[in-house]
Amino acid sequence: MRWAIDHTSRERLQDQIADCVRRGVATGELDVGEQLPPAAELGAALSVDRNTVLAAYRQLRDDGVLEFRRGRGARVASGGPDLSAVTEAARSLVATARLHGLGRNELIRIIKELT
Amino acid sequence: MTSPPLAGDGTHAVYTGRTTSWTTVASTCVAGVLLVLVATSSGGAWSDLMIVLPLLLIAIGVLADVLTASSVRATAGPNGFTIRWGSVGWPRCSYPLDRIARAEVIDLPWWRVSWGFWWTPRRTSCTVRSGPTVRLTLPNGRIVTVTVPEPVAAVAALDAAATAPRDT
Repeated sequence: MRWAIDHTSRERLQDQIADCVRRGVATGELDVGEQLPPAAELGAALSVDRNTVLAAYRQLRDDGVLEFRRGRGARVASGGPDLSAVTEAARSLVATARLHGLGRNELIRIIKELT
Repeated sequence: MTSPPLAGDGTHAVYTGRTTSWTTVASTCVAGVLLVLVATSSGGAWSDLMIVLPLLLIAIGVLADVLTASSVRATAGPNGFTIRWGSVGWPRCSYPLDRIARAEVIDLPWWRVSWGFWWTPRRTSCTVRSGPTVRLTLPNGRIVTVTVPEPVAAVAALDAAATAPRDT
């Protein structure tokens, strides 16, 4: 699982971590039932506090993305939101952009303008 | 799989992975069953305690092995490479970026798999399957071999962190 957070961004770190998990679930990098790293270990790797990671995990649990089990850590929930439609749409968007000669950065700029 | 890294300074790109060795779990369970068979086939007059106690000990042994020796967790990023062995995360090895001379992906043949955590004078091996594996070479020539689910991503995270300007 790849994580990327920006310490200088204005966006809260816990939201950035939660977004990483959401992206992982959407792209299929995280499978249903897969166990996420313990908060202390991920926190140490990302140079954030353990409680920030826990806050992100809790936020994801409340959204139904993760489930907590005693002694087994945080896992990707089976009944989580189905984002496969979004992934599919994004895939066709990328294909269309490529057809029109648009690069990744241009595409990202267009999306940023829209959202 | 491509995952766009976020642009900008202060970016932390980290890879985390967990590999479970079902071979270890299976072989432990088989060994446990064999132990039970050997114990019960030796015959003789067994009291209840004499049967329950060895069974309990074997069950504890199998459980302990499954908990401690069946999986390996690895993290790679700006804070270096860390290996945590088993559910409790021990033994643990941590290599900061400045202690990693080279990181590469090798194709580990099955006869070189250590099937566990091994520490020898020249090598640290933490491999539970054959195939693509992360290999670190330390400045003192020590070779560290670790199984991770996506070794390419782990090495990419280390390379990106090593080439990025240090802002902290």
